[in-house]
Amino acid sequence: MLDKILESPIWRKLFTGYGFVFLAFLYLPLGLIFVYSFNANTINMAVWTEFTTEWYFSIFGLGDAETSLDSAFVESPERIFEVVKHSAIVALCAATISTVIGTATAIALQRYKFVGKRFYQGLLILPMIVPDIVLGIALLIFFVGAGFKLSLMTIIIGHVTFLTSYVFVVVSARLAGMDTSLEQASADLGAGPFTTFRRVTLPQIMPGVIGGFLLAFIISLDDVVITYFIAGVGAQTLPLFILAMMRRGLRPQINALAVMLLAFTFVVAAVGLYLRSLKT
Amino acid sequence: MSDAGTFERRKRRTLIYLLAPFTLMLGIFFLIPLGIMAVYSFLEPGLYGGVEWNWYPYNYGRIIGWPLNDYEEFEPIYLKIFLNSVQIAVMTVIGTFILCYPAAFWVSRMKGTKKNLALFLITLPFFANMLIRIYAWLLLLRPTGFFNTVLQSAGLIIEPLDLLFTNFSVIVGMIYILTPFMFLPIYANVERLDYSLVRASQDLGANALQTFRRVILPLTAPGIIGGCVIVFIPALGNFIVPSFLGGSKVQMTGNLIERSFLQSRDWPFGAALALLIMATVVILVMFQISRQSRAEEKGIA
Repeated sequence: MLDKILESPIWRKLFTGYGFVFLAFLYLPLGLIFVYSFNANTINMAVWTEFTTEWYFSIFGLGDAETSLDSAFVESPERIFEVVKHSAIVALCAATISTVIGTATAIALQRYKFVGKRFYQGLLILPMIVPDIVLGIALLIFFVGAGFKLSLMTIIIGHVTFLTSYVFVVVSARLAGMDTSLEQASADLGAGPFTTFRRVTLPQIMPGVIGGFLLAFIISLDDVVITYFIAGVGAQTLPLFILAMMRRGLRPQINALAVMLLAFTFVVAAVGLYLRSLKT
Repeated sequence: MSDAGTFERRKRRTLIYLLAPFTLMLGIFFLIPLGIMAVYSFLEPGLYGGVEWNWYPYNYGRIIGWPLNDYEEFEPIYLKIFLNSVQIAVMTVIGTFILCYPAAFWVSRMKGTKKNLALFLITLPFFANMLIRIYAWLLLLRPTGFFNTVLQSAGLIIEPLDLLFTNFSVIVGMIYILTPFMFLPIYANVERLDYSLVRASQDLGANALQTFRRVILPLTAPGIIGGCVIVFIPALGNFIVPSFLGGSKVQMTGNLIERSFLQSRDWPFGAALALLIMATVVILVMFQISRQSRAEEKGIA
């Protein structure tokens, strides 16, 4: 009866209605930034005056002198290219390294029997449950103590420590759902483990590997907290740049920058999620 | 015979090659740093930052309010801030749960492409930059923000409401950034809900509320508890949300840690606070794991 009640038109409408409220809660605040980013009003963003694309240009120093980023933030437009470059380097390196390590670990745990497997499964969860701030300061203490100079390099290392676990989860799911008979056939025919991996396993798990890479890339690109502690001078990334902008006061340029970053991350994350959901 | 031996040896070697990178990486750049942090929390802070290698339990003493010298009085301010952080994290857990539980039922009863689309839309905000999601709420809640402007122009209020820099605004921001974490585990559980048990309960004469309380809620409890744990952990240590939506009015332990590392440069004290958060997390996770394994045992029996 209850499931009948749940199936009854009124309840279905209620659930559907609630579903849309839920989605609205998730997306409307972000939609607001999108609308604001085209509003010419500099005094109160919540009051619409007229449509403009000024803010998108002024971030890169292409707008009017008065509204350029220079006057707003005493910050040269070259800075933004620099921080985007930093973020791209960090995200590409960190995602690549964590994809290699995560995939190797996933193969070891999915295809081999060994003592201490459960211990490794526990270790893999660990970086995902330790709060960001704790990992951030632990790495800061370690890097300073061990004499590492805080730089893009330390950010990359820091990101790899927790991204590996995400890649592991995505690739493991792919490996678990994969038919192992082809791998066995390859081994029976005399191929070594590396040949089997390159010719048989890798092509089959490729969507999982690329999906894991893209998700790691986005998580690295978005990371604020860990990067905040281990970035040091001269290694500012895009999120840290936005953080500094927000601390100095809300300007319309932040809207435009936020919209561009959101659009980029959503596209990459969408491809990553799609690849992850592909069935073998 | 020797063939099988070589094969086994080769397999072992491959396994070692596969596991070595992760083991080294996690050991050197994760476990050792956490260990050093734990050691630091028992050391004396240096005068100009850094540490003195002396046994110094007063970092923890300070947290519970111990006076450091004759001029200070016993004042458990840091403990109060910690408890306020716990309270905010608990409210965040409750808020995300209320939002996500009905939504999980909504999605679980969909079919095919529609279901995949809904799941995709709910997962996607997880990848939106956390700062930008907080920024959105700053735009909504501040005195010249969206809500106040709308309410004022509608003539409902004259002075703008103080929506920002309250526990409320911090909790709303936390709920917003952590909702996907709560949704996914609950959904995974609701999805597998066996409706024949629901029907049996109804056939035996239970009303809708009884069925919900006695059948549906216990059956979806593992997902709920899982979701609560993984929302609570990042909420407890968060310092970005309170620093923007809480201002100087709402302090969380995360803010204290940030300040002791980047401003007052009292690293041992920050490390002690971080260990306090870690300990809370470890206790919660242990509780969750022991619950899970007990549930599994029951499942086998």
